Amino acid sequence: MFADGLFILFTVFAVVGAAGLVLFKHPMNGAMSFVVTLIALAGLYALLNAKLIFAIQLIVYAGAIMSLIIFIIMFLNIQEEDLPAEEGRFKYLIGGVIVVAPVGMLLTKAVNSLPGSEATIAGAGFGGVKEVGVKLFTEWLLPFEIVSILLLVSLVGAVVLAGKRGTNK
Amino acid sequence: MTSLDILLIIVRVAFGAFVPLCFVAVCVWMERRGAAFFQDRSGPNRANIMGFRAGGLIQNLADAVKLFFKEDIIPGHIKHKFYFVLAPMIVCVTALVSFAVVPFADTLVLGDREYVMQAIPMDIGILWFLAIAGFAVYGIILAGWSSHNKYGVLGGLRSAAQVISYEIPMGLAIISLLVVYGTVNLSEMAQFQGQLLFGFIPMWGVLLQPLGVIIFIIAAFAEANRTPFDLAEGESEIVAGYHVEYSGMKFTIFFMGEYVAMFTSSAIIVTLYFGGYQIPWFNTATLLKFAVPVALLVMAAVPVIGKFVAAWIRKNNVSHYDRENDPRVREANVYIKIVWGLVILVEAIFFLYLVFASGGAADHILVALLQVCTFLAKTTFMCFVYVWVRWTLPRFRYDQLQKLGWNILLPLSLLNIFVTSAIVVALS
Repeated sequence: MFADGLFILFTVFAVVGAAGLVLFKHPMNGAMSFVVTLIALAGLYALLNAKLIFAIQLIVYAGAIMSLIIFIIMFLNIQEEDLPAEEGRFKYLIGGVIVVAPVGMLLTKAVNSLPGSEATIAGAGFGGVKEVGVKLFTEWLLPFEIVSILLLVSLVGAVVLAGKRGTNK
Repeated sequence: MTSLDILLIIVRVAFGAFVPLCFVAVCVWMERRGAAFFQDRSGPNRANIMGFRAGGLIQNLADAVKLFFKEDIIPGHIKHKFYFVLAPMIVCVTALVSFAVVPFADTLVLGDREYVMQAIPMDIGILWFLAIAGFAVYGIILAGWSSHNKYGVLGGLRSAAQVISYEIPMGLAIISLLVVYGTVNLSEMAQFQGQLLFGFIPMWGVLLQPLGVIIFIIAAFAEANRTPFDLAEGESEIVAGYHVEYSGMKFTIFFMGEYVAMFTSSAIIVTLYFGGYQIPWFNTATLLKFAVPVALLVMAAVPVIGKFVAAWIRKNNVSHYDRENDPRVREANVYIKIVWGLVILVEAIFFLYLVFASGGAADHILVALLQVCTFLAKTTFMCFVYVWVRWTLPRFRYDQLQKLGWNILLPLSLLNIFVTSAIVVALS
């Protein structure tokens, strides 16, 4: 099936990108491979017919946040010789795998033993802007407002911190 | 899927892919001739094929050949060759793909099937444009950074900072527009603009959002890195900015990307604020109702336009000094024959339509074609506005540019949202 092929493609890209983020030495390579992961995740959302989440994933994460991070990497202009020598990283990697392995096995077991629920096809408007908006502003209004206040607080905090440094000079 | 479905998919995708690329040639030509016009000179008028200069369009061909045959150099000091090659592709492809959601005609109804006239019939519309436009920054950042050159890095930094900061007023201007239209779907926005305000004014975004359109156009100019916001390639300070190390085909792709971005943002401005494909006072229903009179009107108008164009070519396409057997007059004769040939072709098509096909599906196709022409005409004019501004206004200083973005446009767009929402709530 076409959708199955796309699903496999996106999952492979998501996992490979995430692995690249951890394994690449240069921060620019790591950031760019993380962009691949984020775009692949957006593709998975689109396969689930979550159109709004797909667009927001692309605008906010793949577009805005990652371009700021890459902007900062460019600003710092890190060269190969500025990076710390990572000796024995594969030793740590293997150790990490051994530590994480039981958790992974547990998760696989949990996923395999999930009760098989009937898959139903979602309605025509599922995941559209209007449907998500209506749900968000009727059932989830309070959490939504709390999150916006949290964002506002961090925004004001950033401005205050930036302003302080300016007056000291 | 019937063969008609497949044909329409091919037509729509081909329109979305090839029209922006064709408009690269048109925009470059318009830029050159426009610059020449503003500076009171002739512009490119020498390059020719067998004496045919096509008003300067052949110069584009000469430039393309020159760029194709230049050596494509990757300087030896560049460590990240992959990003160096990837950057121009990102710039060009993102500009091209963001055009995919722009509707170029009203939903085409053939039989009992409806076809949304966008390259990708997606209903998240403007969100797709914002998402893809955000990716263009990667191209600029990667180009500046991987060039490993102080001019490149400075240009990339300037450009990225500018694009990121102007995305905010642009997004806020779009929000107040969404409040008015009540949808993010660009097709529905264009249909909304086919209505009439008080029964006689076309309900275009520019009338409903006079402040929003100014903010959006300024932000779009900054996003496209065009003068007065082309600090990123300020020749007098940083040579050519982020594409200082690029040559040959890779520079060509950057160059094409710039013009595709200009075309795409013109198309978005037209769709959001200038009625998209709508012909003022003639929305799709009216056009369908009066398809035969409209066809007759077009049949009457085309020869008149043809006559004026022919007279204009005759007057202007001559040598400005005495020449025996003026080759430019010979050239003009051929052009005038082509113009009349086109007039006859259009007349023949409309005649066949009136005799054999009027009523039914042909009406819908006729209306769609008229709307495509309207859309392209509006977009061409908007591209001309880009050229107009570029050769009229001087460049900003960098601090003035950031001040304009953050201190003027951002508060204005916030104010615009509050005023718009208040009016919309009061009226509903």
